[in-house]
This record gives sequence, structure tokens and C-alpha cells, in this order.
Amino acid sequence: MDHISRRQALGLFGALGMGAAVASCAGPGGTAPAAPNSVAAPATGEITGEVSFAHWRGEDKEVFDELIKRFTSANSGVSLTQNISTSNDYNAQGLQKLRGASIGDAFASFRGSQFSNFVEAGLYTNLTDSPAAAQYEPDLLAAGKSEDAQFGLPYQVVFPMPLINLDIFDRAGADIAPKDWDGFLGTCEALKSAGVVPISWPGGDVGNGGQLFNCMIINVAPADDMGTQIEQGTLKLTDDWYIGMLRQYQQLIPYLQPNSTGTAVEPAQSLFSRGDAAMLATGSYHLAAVRDLGAEFPMELIFPNTSTGGTSKYEGVYNATFILGVNADSDNQPAAMEWVNFLSDPENAGYYANETAQHVAVAGVEYTNEDLQKLSPWLEKKTALAPRFQFQNLDVRNAVEASATAVIAGTDPEQAAAEAQQIVDERV
Amino acid sequence: MSVSIGGAKPASESRRSKASPPHDQKKRKSPTRVSPALYLFPLPAIAVTLVFLVMPTLQAFQYALTDWNGFSAAFNYVGLDNFVRAFTGDSLFTNALANNLKFMLVVVIFQTVVSLVLAMMLTKNSRGSILLRALFFFPTILSSVSVAFIWKFIYDPNFGLANSTLGAVGLDSLQGSYLGDDAQALYWVAATQVWFHAGQMMVVFVAGLQGIPRELYEAAEIDGAGKWQQFTSITWPLVAPATAIVVAYTTIQSFKAFDLILGIAGNPPKASLDILSTRIYSSFANAEFGYAAAQSIIFMALIALVTWLQRRVLRLTQKQE
Repeated sequence: MDHISRRQALGLFGALGMGAAVASCAGPGGTAPAAPNSVAAPATGEITGEVSFAHWRGEDKEVFDELIKRFTSANSGVSLTQNISTSNDYNAQGLQKLRGASIGDAFASFRGSQFSNFVEAGLYTNLTDSPAAAQYEPDLLAAGKSEDAQFGLPYQVVFPMPLINLDIFDRAGADIAPKDWDGFLGTCEALKSAGVVPISWPGGDVGNGGQLFNCMIINVAPADDMGTQIEQGTLKLTDDWYIGMLRQYQQLIPYLQPNSTGTAVEPAQSLFSRGDAAMLATGSYHLAAVRDLGAEFPMELIFPNTSTGGTSKYEGVYNATFILGVNADSDNQPAAMEWVNFLSDPENAGYYANETAQHVAVAGVEYTNEDLQKLSPWLEKKTALAPRFQFQNLDVRNAVEASATAVIAGTDPEQAAAEAQQIVDERV
Repeated sequence: MSVSIGGAKPASESRRSKASPPHDQKKRKSPTRVSPALYLFPLPAIAVTLVFLVMPTLQAFQYALTDWNGFSAAFNYVGLDNFVRAFTGDSLFTNALANNLKFMLVVVIFQTVVSLVLAMMLTKNSRGSILLRALFFFPTILSSVSVAFIWKFIYDPNFGLANSTLGAVGLDSLQGSYLGDDAQALYWVAATQVWFHAGQMMVVFVAGLQGIPRELYEAAEIDGAGKWQQFTSITWPLVAPATAIVVAYTTIQSFKAFDLILGIAGNPPKASLDILSTRIYSSFANAEFGYAAAQSIIFMALIALVTWLQRRVLRLTQKQE
């Protein structure tokens, strides 16, 4: 063919276009994942090659760097890199990033909807019989299970309850262990009378501001799986118990810093670390950050117990998260599994815990960090798994938590509940 | 200009050939027949466009008709349900749509006015003007995430510059919650967007204004036209092409202020700061790929519609002037 006419050229481009159209009409979706119980364990073999460890804990990078150094010196054929995203990005895009395992031979996931999605997408290998799983406190492994198969190992144990400045509490004579809602309000009043802001609450930050919700709802909801039931429509936000809880939020308004709904997490931490606020309503996972900001006072946790009269079911809340897993798409599963085994070793887990000021779910860890030692009794208390992570639908979770923020901003509790319920109804 | 190849023909022959071409001319090799190699040159560009633009766009249309969650092998075709849901059964989407239209309106009006005023003050190429233009243009070269963080701290009610400044000059009563106030939050972000991009749009206006002949203003002055009359009768109609660019670009920017909103409000943003792009992102993050694809198509259609309407309105107003 010496020459090609315009008509032939158009025909050629048209054919390319049609080809593209046909190619793009291939249905979405990939290979159907196996049923949970038939998922294979990670492949075994030589511990060598490159391993990517994907997670969102940028603040732990240096600690992991040191652990990686120790791991690679013990396994000379392996090189290991961290692929760190921000927690927001990891929450939103983690699944897409990890599919195909271009990154994340070993990875972490959030408890709740992300873990469930990862399982459904067939991203996990089965760690039920792995040596690593045997290192964990059995009670703390539930967050990484699906249909009795252990897909992930919840590494961190955090307490999403307000941190308190013990010096201020002592000075104000405030009760650090109120037994009920009146007791908690009494604590707040004593702190306010002492001239400090009782609670620093980052209401402008959805993720951190929502942690208080765990404490507020756990003892007033009619069922422990209230999040699941709200999502399924069997419990309504317009029910009396929920509106009652919103009224308790309303009672907190005088004890929060001014304009709290516009406060981001960093200024909230600053207020607390400077001693201007007696409580930081986020959680134990901010211990290290607060210390980095220069806080030298002794710290504890407090449970805003919303129960009224009688005994309360729970003494606090905890969350088991940073769920470690080995990627089913990884072509270097032996080395990835070895890294998870390494992290799950009590000595290495202890190093991680003490350096990052976070408890871990690995059994037999010795906590040498003073803050962790101080908070360790909470590991033995009757605490509930943080309920906000029961929500599988993020729009529902945000709407529910936004109802509390709206009340603090001045909306009537019944109106806030009705508005949130409308969003839930649209997604049931 | 016409060019004759191979020498000029007699006029009579030329007329004849226009009226009815002779048979041998029909047989002559078509000037459009060229070497096939020439057609290969655009192929890489076409292939890239097909793979990275056409195919994803077509796929978005296909996904929009499904309930695909983004990772499962199983999905169902749901027809137009996703589109119906967006407009009739999803208050978060309609809220984001309303927010986006409000945001767009405020940003387009204020950004156009501010950038035009700045451009009119700095049209001359004096040293001072050039320096100020550079100064006003400076925010544009910052990343939107940096801008978001700077303004997040300015708006912080406890330690932020805005409340501190008001407090320092005795205007404590004006101190506010800014982003914490649902009724105002969107407007504060709009103010940030205007600060961020007004300098960029000012440059477009400066180019447009410098193209207007000075003689027109001189003639208008001799005729006794005031400044306002000069603006309405000369500047505004003649700066129309630049205005069209500014308004269209600002509109698209307003719809895509994704990174600024996420940087300022966090992810996910609260409902009062949720715009269409962040809502679509939330739907993707929420494992609703089919629904998110439908929202993306609505989003695309809306930008096209609004831009088209603006161009029509702008053309009409500037013609009337």
C-alpha cells in the first residue's frame, strides 16, 4: 500500500475508536475472591527480595526505620521500604493502592469498613495458623477476624477517651474517675471554677472530634452493636436514648473551649499541652504528639460516663487497629510474612510500643514508657470496642457524628437527630 | 490570497473549469492522497487520548449504570437508578450541589471583580505596577494544600491570625468561629479561593486591557465621557475576550476546588463545606463506584452547561454595551 486516502485514514481512526469503545465496555470488577475460610495462608519460601510495607502512620516512620534496620540485618537478603500515606488518603484509597500489590506486600488497615472491604476484595491471606497470630492476646484479635478466619492482626491498642492533665485535676480537686454523667459534669465544673478550659475538643476535625462519640454512646445505647443497628435501620437516631445523648452533648457546651466547632486538632492539642485545657477529647494515640509539643505534666485517661443512676456497663472504650496483613497479590509473601512475624515478636512490639507511646495487642510486652505504664491498668478494665467503627458506611458514620457537632454548634437535639436520620434512611 | 501552481491559466479556461471540470481533471490524483507515513504521526497522540481519556470516559458512563463497589467481581446493571438517586434520594448530593453553586457564584463574582480592579490599577508597565503584579500573582504559585493550611491557621478561632488581629485592635465582638460556623464556612473558603487565584486572573485582564488602544480613551475624554462611562462603553466591551476566559476558568476552578476544601476542612469535609468534587470522592471512598461515576457525569455535564450559559450571558451583556 503506497498511499492511504483520507477516507481510509478516517476508517482506521474510527476502527481504533471503536476498539477503544469495545475495550472500555468490559465489565468492572476483577476475579471473585474466595470464601473467607478457603483463603490460603501466605506462601512459604526463601526470605529474600524486596518488601513494601504500606501504612498511614507517618509519625511512626523513624521507629519503623529502626525496626526495619534490625529486620534486614537478621534477614540479609531482604530490603524493606515503607509506603506511607496520610490516614485520610489511606482510608479513601488504600484498597485501590494495594490491589495488585505494586505496593504493600505487607500492610495495615483500619478497623471497621476498611478491614471489611479488604477482606471482601480478597486482599488478605489467611494468618489463622501463622506463628505471628499466636503472639497476640486472644481477646484482642477479634477486630482482624472474618468468619473465624484470622486475616489481620490488630497491632495497636488505643483508648479513644480524653487525656487529662493530672496537675490541673489535682489543683482543682476534680474527680478523675466519675462514675456517672452527673459526676463527669461535676468534674467539668470543678475544672472550670479553677479557671481553665475543662475540655479541649477538636470539633473542626471530623476524625478526631468524633472520638468523643465512642464514650458518649457506649453506656446509653440499648445494644452493644448500636452502630450496626443504626445502619440497618433497627435503631433510629430519633429514638429517645439517642436524643438524650445529644442533650448530654449540649450540656458540655459551657465546658468546651470557645468556638470549639471550628477548632482543628493541632490547636486543640496546643491548648492541652500548654496547660490551658484540662482534657484533650481525642485519645491515648495523641500521647506522643502532646509530649512532642512540650507537655511535661503527668497524664491519665478519663471516661465521660454518660450513664445516669445505677451501674454502668462499661468503664471505658478501646480500639484495636492498625491491622497487619500479608497481601494475597504479593509475589513476595514469605518475606512479607516474616516481617509481620518480626513485628509480632514481643521484644520488637515492645520497642514499637514504648517508642510511639501506644499499647500493642501482642502478649508479654514490657512497657517501659512512663505514660504507657500509667495507662496500662486500662488494659485490664471493662472497656468496650470503640463503637464508631461499627459503621460500614462512612456517610452514615459522618452524619451520625455530625449530629453531635451540630448540637454543640447550637442546633436543637431533636432537629439534629432528625436531619442525621434522614441521611441514614437514604442509605439503609 | 490564492496561489496558482503550474502557471496561470487563461481566464476563459479558468471559468470553464469552475463550471464543469473536464474528465481528465477528475482522474487527476487527489491532493488529499498523501504518503501513509504521515498518518502514522498522530497515532501515538491518538492512542494516548484513547487510552487515557476516551476509554475512562466511556467506562465512567458504563459504571454509572451499575452498582459496582469498586473491587467486587459481582455487580448489577441498575439502569438510570444512580442518576435518579442523586437528584431525588440523596440529600448529601443535593446539599453538595447547592454548596457548589453558591461557592461558584460568590467566587466568580468576587474573583472577576477583584482581578479586574487590580488589573485596571496595574495596567501600566511601571516598576511599581510590575512589582505589585508579581506580589498579587505570588499566591498562585503556591500549592493549594499549602494555601489551605495557611488559611486554616488564619481562621483558627483560638490561635488564628484573624481573631488575634481583631482582638488586638479591640474588635473582640467581631471574633468568630469562621470554619466552625456552618452558615459562614463556605464563604470563608470562597474568600481563600479568591485570594488564591485573583492574581492569576489579574494577569489575564492586564493582557486584555493593554490591548485596548489608548486613542479610544483620549477620544472619549475629548467627548466629555467620565471614567464610569469610559469603563462601560470602552473597557468592558473590549475586555470581553479576557472576561470570557476569566469567568470560564474561574467557574471550572470553583467546581474543582477539591484540594483546597480537603486541605481546609479535612477528609471528609463536613456537610456545610461539601462540594460536588469532594462528594464524589467520598462516594468512591465509600465503595460506591457506580454511584460515584454517575455523580461524576452529572458534574461534567453541569460544568459544561454553566460554562456555556456564562458565555452566552457574557456575550449578550457585552454586545448590549
